[in-house]
Formats: sequence, C-alpha cells, structure tokens
Amino acid sequence: MEPILTVSHLQKVYGGKGSRTQALSDLSFTVEEGEFTGIMGASGSGKTTLLNCISTIDRPTGGSITVEGTDLTALRGKALSRFRRERLGFIFQDCNLLDTLTGFENMALSLTILGVSPRVIEGRVRETAGLLGLEGVLDKYPYQMSGGEQQRVAAARAILTRPALVLADEPTGALDSKAAGQLLRQLSALNREEGTTILMVTHDAFTASWCRRILFIKDGVLYRELRRGELDRKAFFAQILGVVSMLGGDSADVL
Amino acid sequence: MFCKLALRNVTRSLKDYAVYFLTLTFGVCIFYIFNSLESQWCMQMLAQSAHYIVDTILILMDVFSVFVSVVLACLVLYANTFLMKRRKRELATYFLLGLPTVKVSLLLVLETLVIGLLSLGAGLLLGVLLSHGLGLLTMSMFAFYPAGESFGLILSGKTIVKTVLYFGVIFLVVVLFTGLSVSRARLIDLIQGGRKNEELREPPLWQSVLTFLLGVALLLIAYTMLLVRGLLYIDPLFFLMLALGTLGTLLFFRSLSGFLLRLVKVRKGLYYKGLNMFVLRQFNSRIHTTYVSMTVICLLLLLAIGVTACCVGLNHTIGATTDASAPYDFTIQNYSGDVSPTDIPALLTENGFDAETELTATRSCDLYYNDAGITVPGQGSSDVVISLTDYNALMALQGRAGLSEESLPQLGTATLVTGFSGVGAYLVVDDATAATLSVRRQIFVGNFAGDPQTAETALTAAVQSQGFAQTGSYRLDTRLQIYLENMGTKILVLFMGLYLGLVFLVTAAAVLALQQLSQAADDQKRYAVLARLGAPEGMRDRAVFTQVFLSFFLPLALAAVHSVVGMTAANAVISVVGQVDSVQSSLVTAALLFVIYGAYFLATYFGARTVVRGNGLRTR
Repeated sequence: MEPILTVSHLQKVYGGKGSRTQALSDLSFTVEEGEFTGIMGASGSGKTTLLNCISTIDRPTGGSITVEGTDLTALRGKALSRFRRERLGFIFQDCNLLDTLTGFENMALSLTILGVSPRVIEGRVRETAGLLGLEGVLDKYPYQMSGGEQQRVAAARAILTRPALVLADEPTGALDSKAAGQLLRQLSALNREEGTTILMVTHDAFTASWCRRILFIKDGVLYRELRRGELDRKAFFAQILGVVSMLGGDSADVL
Repeated sequence: MFCKLALRNVTRSLKDYAVYFLTLTFGVCIFYIFNSLESQWCMQMLAQSAHYIVDTILILMDVFSVFVSVVLACLVLYANTFLMKRRKRELATYFLLGLPTVKVSLLLVLETLVIGLLSLGAGLLLGVLLSHGLGLLTMSMFAFYPAGESFGLILSGKTIVKTVLYFGVIFLVVVLFTGLSVSRARLIDLIQGGRKNEELREPPLWQSVLTFLLGVALLLIAYTMLLVRGLLYIDPLFFLMLALGTLGTLLFFRSLSGFLLRLVKVRKGLYYKGLNMFVLRQFNSRIHTTYVSMTVICLLLLLAIGVTACCVGLNHTIGATTDASAPYDFTIQNYSGDVSPTDIPALLTENGFDAETELTATRSCDLYYNDAGITVPGQGSSDVVISLTDYNALMALQGRAGLSEESLPQLGTATLVTGFSGVGAYLVVDDATAATLSVRRQIFVGNFAGDPQTAETALTAAVQSQGFAQTGSYRLDTRLQIYLENMGTKILVLFMGLYLGLVFLVTAAAVLALQQLSQAADDQKRYAVLARLGAPEGMRDRAVFTQVFLSFFLPLALAAVHSVVGMTAANAVISVVGQVDSVQSSLVTAALLFVIYGAYFLATYFGARTVVRGNGLRTR
C-alpha cells in the first residue's frame, strides 16, 4: 500500500555563506496510513524543522516530501495553502483557539473555512466532540476551559476536516500530567478506532510511549527507530528511556 | 532616577503612546481653533454687522463648545484606558520587582504628565497655526470688506488660558483615573492581561430585545420632543431631550451586536459561511467597550451632517435674497421730511456731490400719512401712502409693471427702497388724493453713473456732512453696502457650518480609525491563527473589511436617521429667514461626507489589513 507520508533525503540549511546551520542533513522515512508515529530528539536535533517542512510552513533546501502522492516541494502559493487547508490537521503546543469563539464555534470554524455545507457542520462537530469527550465545553469560551479541554478542542478542530495526516507539535507541552494523559489516551483512541494518521513531535518519553512507533533524530539524521509491537506501554516506556539517554551522546562520547 | 524611568518609558513606548499623543494633540488643537474662532473672529463680525442670526449661532456655539469639551474628555479617557490595557504586562513586572503601588501610580502619573505637557504644547502650536491659516483664508474672502482692521492673526491669550485650564482638568481626571485603576489592579489579572479577553457574557435574548426596544423607545420620545418643541428653546427640557436621545443611542448600540448575533445565528447558511461567525463574534466581543465610542461617533456624525446641511442650505437662501432687498444702487431717506422737507439732489450738490453728473435714473418721491383714513375694501389699510405717479416711476426704475388709475386705491407690497424702509404694506392712491395728505417721509433713489465703489464713498461722505446733519435726519442705504452685509452673514454662516461640520466629521472618523487600527493590532494573533487554519488571504481580507465596515457604517446609519429628524426641526428655525434648500444641501453634505468619511474608511481598512497581515504564517 502507498504510504501516506514519504520523506526522502530531506535537507534543510539555515543561514547564508557566513554561518551555515545544517538543521537536517539527510533524512528519509515513511508513515503508513493509520500509524501513530512519534518523533523524538534533543533540542536542536531538527525535529521542529522537520515538522515545519512537512506542514508546509517552511520549505526544505533539498530532498522531497510526498503526502498521498503529492510532492509538497512542487506546490506553490494557492495550491499550497489549499493543500494545507484540506489535507493536513494541526495541533500546536499553544492550542491557538480563538478566544472570542465558543468551543463549538472554534471547531466549526475549520469547516466553514473549507466551505463545507452549513447543513452538515453542526452534526459533524457534535460527532467529533463526542469522540473527544467535549460535550460539556461546546458553549464555553476558551478562558472558561481547562488547559486540557482547550487542547482537546484544538485536537477536535484538527481532525474535523478529515485530513490525511494530523501533525502534533508537543501537544502536551503546556498540560499537567493528568490532562496530558487524557489527551494522549484520546489521540490514541482516535488512531485505533478512526484510523487517523498522527505524526507527533515530542521530547517527553512519557508522551512518546503512547505512540506505536518512534523515530529518533539526532544532529539532523535518523538515529534509531523503535516499534512498540506487542509490548505494553510500561515496557515501551523503558525502551524509549534507554534510547533517550543515548540521544545526548553515548558512552563513546564520555572520556 | 524615577523621572528618568518615566521619561525612558515614554520614549520607549512611543509607538503605544502615539495613539494617545495624537488624540490629545488633536483635541487641544480643535479646542483652541474652535474657541479662538468664537472669541476673536466672530465677535468682530458681530460688531461689524449686527445680524440676529449671529446671536443664534453664538448660543448654539456655546452649547457645542461645552459638548465638544465633554466629548474630548471622554476621548482622552478612552485613549488612556486603551493605553493602560496595552501595558498590563509592564505594570505586572513592576509589581513583581517589588515596587509599591504608590510608586507605580506615581510613575504613571509622571508619564501622563510628560505626555500631557508635550501634547498640550504641540496641540496649541498646531491650533495657533491652523487658526492663523483659517484667518488668512477668511481675510481673502473679505478682501473688499470696508473695514480697515485685519482679521485673525491674533494670538488669543484668553483662549490659550481657557484651553490649558480645560485640559488641565481633563488631565487631572485622567491621572486620578489611572491612579485608581492601578491601585485596584490585581497582579494575576495584570500578568494574564495579554491572554484574558474582555468579559464574554452572552446576555439572554430577552435582555437584548428589551434593551433594544428601550433604546428605540427613548429615541422616539426624543424625536417627538424635538419635532414638537423645535430647536430654539434652550431650557432644561432641551437638555432632557438631548439626554434621552443620547441614552437611546447608547442602548441601541449596546444591544445591537447581541441582537445581530442572535439574528444571524438562526440563519445557519449565513452563520456558517466563511469567516462570518468569526467576524460577528469579534464584533460582539468588542461591543462592551465600543458601544460608548460608537454612540459618541454617531452623535459627532449627527452634528457634522446636521450643521453642514443646515448651513449650506441657509447660505443658499441668504444669497438668493440679496438682490431682492436692493433694487437701486442707493436710497436716501429723509425721516424729518414731515417737518422740514428739503431738496435732496440740490443738497447733495451743495455738499460736494454732483447729483446731475454722478447719478442716473434718479427719482425723488414723497411718502404720505394716511390722514384721510383710506381703506381698501377686502384688503385693509396702511399708515403709509404713495401717489400713483411716484409708484409707477419707482416700478419703472426697477423694470416692473406699474398700476393703472382704475385699480386704485390699492394695497402694495413691492419693495420701494434699497435697504431698510420700515414699511410693510402701503397704499397706492391717485395723485389728487395724495396731494391732500401730509408728507411723512422723503425718499430719493437712483443709480450711480460711474464706478459704484468711488461714487458710494463720495455719496456717503456727502450724506454724513454738516449740510445734511443740520437740515434733517437722513438715512443712506446702498446696494454695495447691503451686498457686503449679506455677504458677511453668508460667509459667516457657511464658514461656521462647514468648519464645525468638518471638525466633527474628522474627529469622528479619526477616532474610529484609531480604534480600528488599535483593534487590528489586538487581532493580529487571531488572524495568524486563521492563517494557520488555512483560511486564504482573500477570505481574511474580507473579514477585516467587514469588521471595519460595520464599525464605520453602523454609527453613520443611525446618525443619518437622527439628522433627517434633526433637519426637519432645524428647517422650522431657519424658515424664519428662508427655507433650507434641502435637495442641494443634502447633496453637498453627502458629497463631503462621502469624500472624508470614505477616505478615512479606506485608509483604515488598508491600515488594518497591513497590521493584520504583518504577523503571517512564518512567525511562531
């Protein structure tokens, strides 16, 4: 089966002649439909650059990114923003809800921007809100919600448009552990039950342990890949910790 | 050290203060021009041509002046509140560093003082320059005015003192307000100031409807009062009417957004289309702070429309009546003709004015007392009588048809003399009857043969000479003099009206523009979110347009309704002088409004669009 996302030989260089920063050197991987993939790495490893390139916010200097057979590096202007609008969903660390709109309206907005028929909007919003346990906050404004609720509304907004790929950038970064757990449980349920493909960037091992598969990036290249397989979360967590401890530098670097 | 911090704060947050500074400077400038106009230019005009319209205008000006200062005070307070909101984070930092509340208050007071003094200076300078310019402009319009002294160009010390005093009070209020709001601020609110929104309570539907109905009812009461009572009686009831109208407008705008939101929400096809939902919510979330300014703007627009339209119309009326009251170049009347009749042309020649060569188409006539008690059946009677020959001669001079012997006696109303006659209707009788009556007044009319300006000067000199003063009580009216007098009134009315109207219009538009631009700065983040959600640029631009459009044209719409009612009432006042030419004045007003307001609207839209676009996709 054709993978949803194919990243091949991706390169990104910041700066000009004087000070070149190689954020991504030569990165290749694929994500299949229905996968819940995590990307981990220390600060400065290039994981945010990677996410920016996939989400078309930034343009790579070399290599290609293909989503559902469309080469993103070939898209320009209106086609690009159209692609972003229709095929990608975003969840950010700061959840980016509009403070003047209620929870319901925040979710509905992503559909009205797409031009979805007004008749089906209410039904789809309520359905998705049910999936994420958001029935109680539909009429609340963001400032009346907890951080976790806000982030779940953002998640609902991201999946409402039925994107090919949901990109999550440190979605639990601003949440306490309980709210983080709840959000991740629901993301994982979405992935299992609805088959939503999720690509999540995080530096937190606990958050990453909810993924089915984890890619570790170090100094702009793919360093390791872990698959959860049949392991339970606890064992997977331990495995992740093992790799994470090596990310900053392994024993060869000591001494 | 403390002063240094305050000064540095002012220079550092110059961008934030710019809005505040401009508002203050603009306010001081308007106030100075307005008041110096009243105290120098108008008073001189009043002394020159004592026309009764000027009195009315001065009363209205006084009312406006108070109104303007109240509006300016509100404006300054508003600008200050806006500024405080933008600096919440900064204040929080001071508190976190352990600065006591008193010191923070003092810091803000110092800053307000610096800005206040700067803007007062700048505003006065600008005001003096602009009023200078206005004075020059007026002088050029009055180049032929027969007064030796010059207009304008006077630095009105009284006005400067008045301005400083008024704004001193306004600053004091602002300082008190600032101090109070700082001492009541809670640190947690200040820290979260950037994030927290205004209170977003959605009032229940019945409350919106009730407020809306109450507002409309109050407006209707005020309208009725205005139409029934008219504009001229400035008594407590007049101010009650103003208060009712203002409150009605306030309630109208207060409930409008909630009403609108409810209305559109029901129509899902409209509500869930593009960014409509977002725009409406934005509008609604702001209404708690904007309804006051919307009311002020609506009232300012009302003043602008009303004043401009009325004065343009009135000016037109005055222009049309100029010729009717001056049928000949001059008229000399001898009021003492009943006791000491004289030969006016001969007297003129005696006193250095050659009536034979300098004048053409002259005519000496007598007006008689109605000794015989002549009445015309079905028309009535008059105390003033003129013979048929004299009447027909005067009518011939004016190029109008005379009367025939058969139709006499008859009551006439056509103008007999140039200028003031003191005669309304008069009786025209046959010459034989007239000969039996006693003379009441002598009149001598005619046109100048040569240049009217020099002839008029010579004639005036002759009539004012001893030869005339010793033989009776004379009155000289010339067409030129009447023309100039009317011209003076005309220019005064037009100038005052346009000036006041434009000032109000520009103020309203400037306030709106400032408000919208500062809101756009607040909106930047929201539009960035919309961009990230994939809303195309065209869609976002349309949303900005709708937001600016709503805030510009909702007040305009209500102001238009107000002014239709107001102008109907004003017409009743002006019809004492003449009817307002409503079609023409409405067109002129609409054109002015369209150009200025439209320009402000477009400038604001493009400005807001740039501000909103400024934070595009790339900044995170």
